[in-house]
Amino acid sequence: MDRGKVGAAHPYLAPPVAAPDGELLFSRLGAYWRALGVTNPAQIAALSEQALRRAVELPETPGLDPLARVLAAAGELLDDWLARALELPRPSRELAAARAALLSGVAPDWPTLLFAPPGEAEPLLDTLREFVAEPTPEPVPGVMPAQRIELFSLLGPLTRLWRQPTGA
Amino acid sequence: MAKSVQAPIMGHTLRRMMFFLLVILTTLIALGLLVSVFHTDGLSPMELLLLLLYTILFSWICMSFWTAFMGFFVILFGRDRWAISRQPPATPPDPAAPPPRTAILMPIYNEDSTRVFAGLRAIHRSLAETGQLDGFDFFILSDTRDPDVWVEEELRWQDMVRALDGKGRIFYRNRPENTSRKSGNLEDFCTRWGGRYRYMIVLDADSIMKGETLVEMVRLMERHPGVALIQTPPVPVNRESLFARILQFAGSLYGRMFTAGLNYWQLGESNYWGHNAIIRIQPFLEHCGLPKLPGREPFGGEILSHDFVEAALLRRAGWEVWLAYDLEGSYEEIPPTLIDYAKRDRRWCQGNLQHLRLALSHGFNALSRLHFAMGVMSYAASPLWLLFLIATGVEAYLQTQQELVYFFGENWMPVWPVSFAVEMTTVLLVTLTMLFLPKLLALLLLLKDGKLLRAYGGLVGATLSVVLETVFSVLTAPVLMLFQTKFVLAILMRRAVGWPPQQRGDHMTSFKEAALAHGGHTLIGVVAGVLSYRYVPAFFWWFIPVLAGLVLSIPVSMLSSSIALGHKARELGLFLTPEETEPPPVLRYLEENLEEDEPELPVLREKPASRFVQALTDPYVNALHLSLLPQREPPGKRRRHYLEGLIHQLEEEGPDSLSGAQKRDLIADPETLLRLHALFWSRPPANAGMLP
Repeated sequence: MDRGKVGAAHPYLAPPVAAPDGELLFSRLGAYWRALGVTNPAQIAALSEQALRRAVELPETPGLDPLARVLAAAGELLDDWLARALELPRPSRELAAARAALLSGVAPDWPTLLFAPPGEAEPLLDTLREFVAEPTPEPVPGVMPAQRIELFSLLGPLTRLWRQPTGA
Repeated sequence: MAKSVQAPIMGHTLRRMMFFLLVILTTLIALGLLVSVFHTDGLSPMELLLLLLYTILFSWICMSFWTAFMGFFVILFGRDRWAISRQPPATPPDPAAPPPRTAILMPIYNEDSTRVFAGLRAIHRSLAETGQLDGFDFFILSDTRDPDVWVEEELRWQDMVRALDGKGRIFYRNRPENTSRKSGNLEDFCTRWGGRYRYMIVLDADSIMKGETLVEMVRLMERHPGVALIQTPPVPVNRESLFARILQFAGSLYGRMFTAGLNYWQLGESNYWGHNAIIRIQPFLEHCGLPKLPGREPFGGEILSHDFVEAALLRRAGWEVWLAYDLEGSYEEIPPTLIDYAKRDRRWCQGNLQHLRLALSHGFNALSRLHFAMGVMSYAASPLWLLFLIATGVEAYLQTQQELVYFFGENWMPVWPVSFAVEMTTVLLVTLTMLFLPKLLALLLLLKDGKLLRAYGGLVGATLSVVLETVFSVLTAPVLMLFQTKFVLAILMRRAVGWPPQQRGDHMTSFKEAALAHGGHTLIGVVAGVLSYRYVPAFFWWFIPVLAGLVLSIPVSMLSSSIALGHKARELGLFLTPEETEPPPVLRYLEENLEEDEPELPVLREKPASRFVQALTDPYVNALHLSLLPQREPPGKRRRHYLEGLIHQLEEEGPDSLSGAQKRDLIADPETLLRLHALFWSRPPANAGMLP
């Protein structure tokens, strides 16, 4: 199969937009925020504005078109808030786990609390702490040395005889 | 290590001496009869070969027979007083000692996640009912490579944790590399988290165990600090095809007698079957690190059937290994069709043949060597039987070519040929008795327990089932013999047999599949039948059971895979087992879990075309997957270029253009995962439903 031809004719992902206009940016961001569970249009607008500002701060990532960069910034925005609120290092598995807990549906009103004064988000944070996944316990490392298995060989008994005096 | 607590050494020795004496004596008697037939005019090379093969094969049958026979008496007269469950504690329990913690491990590899987690939930529920849940943690040790199955497992795990409030008790990890397969998977657990637990209970993907059994296993280990491993006998359950139901019936009815017999003569020097067993972690860590064997495959390289070797290493270090034959509530599922059964054999065959080298290795106990040899014989017996049948046919043909001479030497009276019909019939009868008497004994044992008899379908149902099972095993034995011979030869010649993976769930065998698998068997049956009928007609009639199995292999394989016939047989009261007649709660829980399957996580209720794509598009699945990736060094330059290439391929040609391994590589790298998530949302694929 000529991949080049197939790829050029019908690429699986839509072609990147070099300079997306504001309408496209807000439309994509809106769709993404809705997928994250934000339904209030005012909140979507405010979060989108913040994401656009956050995108400027993001380090250059090769392969990310401007639109993808803004969407990555939206995710970063969420992580900023979670890392601050839950005092988690970033990037970290714990932060990703907290994001997963947030998006899992355990706290459907999280977007409202995101905009609430700090103290009011505490019950949400408690819920998140409770639902953050803990895939494995703390390790207690041990060693499992490979055992010696002396396979049969006709010379085996002779080798053992040879070894015995030197070993002694 | 802790002091041994097993029964007096004299008693052990007596049991073993009795067992081996019986095996040797029976073999010698049968051999004597055969020699008396062959010896009249000296032994030809062909007769010598026949004698040698017969000795090996008959002693193999004898071991099985005497094991069953001893098991028969153990069950008939009640329990074995030296069984691990019957022995008093070695030392009084220390009330100050902390309660033991046990890890229940389920190693999985590309399995059906729905079934795996339904089984785990059933075990969890059963354990919770004992009130002892606090002493146990669950580990799903995934070696899964398939990216769709991987993501599904993560979601199922998270769903189980949510549903059972299992945070901090139910764990999941997927290994970046599945080095050394299952033994490496367990080693990874032991070296990372083994120190947290005193025991581990190893399950298989299709294992089910009662909570009470799990608790009892821990209790036995606590009572006997010199014991490193207790194996429970898993009873086959839950399958519905005719083939599997026949095997379940046989495994359940005859299995309990064989395991009782095995325990009778092996006692604290028993074996490990790889799952449904409890292991003391400290000695396992110290003594069960598996080396790579020198040389090339099939005999060198990684140790494939690790279980036998681990048991032997524990024994070598002075620890006891027991088979708790009387511990009920341990179950497993078996392949649903004859072809799947053969596929499983193919996987096991190489590992067992590898044991040939270990059987002769320096330092192992005599009984461990015997276990290795028995593993080898499980597969080597098939080519030996085939050789024996061919040699018998050739010998019979040679006999027909000899002209009888009635007058020779200076005899003026005719010298009539001596008939050995009595001796030959005796040899045949002894062999058949060895093969089929255990079935009858198992049936007789049912008469002792009316409730159990009813659970097997009553006297008529159970008897009819034994008869039909015997016919079925006669028909399938030659087919399995040819399959296993092919596997052994392929392994010895380092050739791949080339079969797709085994399907665990019930499914029908199509004509095409049956014809491809058994076409050769049918042809061999027809040719062997024509040749024997043409050249050795007397032999042909003796040969009919073998020929019938081969000639009918296609229809037998297809019909026995039928679920409808399995159900029909059940309606008729055939091949019933106590687990079918009155399923224990843990099996009912499994069935309920599979039928209801109402996940807590909304994302699991959707059935997307690809969980891989879902991990890239769905913000929750993406975040969960990201949180479960192990922390690793960022990829090097070459690796980054490789991943870059895959991203471009995905952008242009879509996920179907990528192999499973390539998809896995993409979602195994955190940076790539986040980048693809952003890419998919900025340039969503058509019909992905990501935009309003």
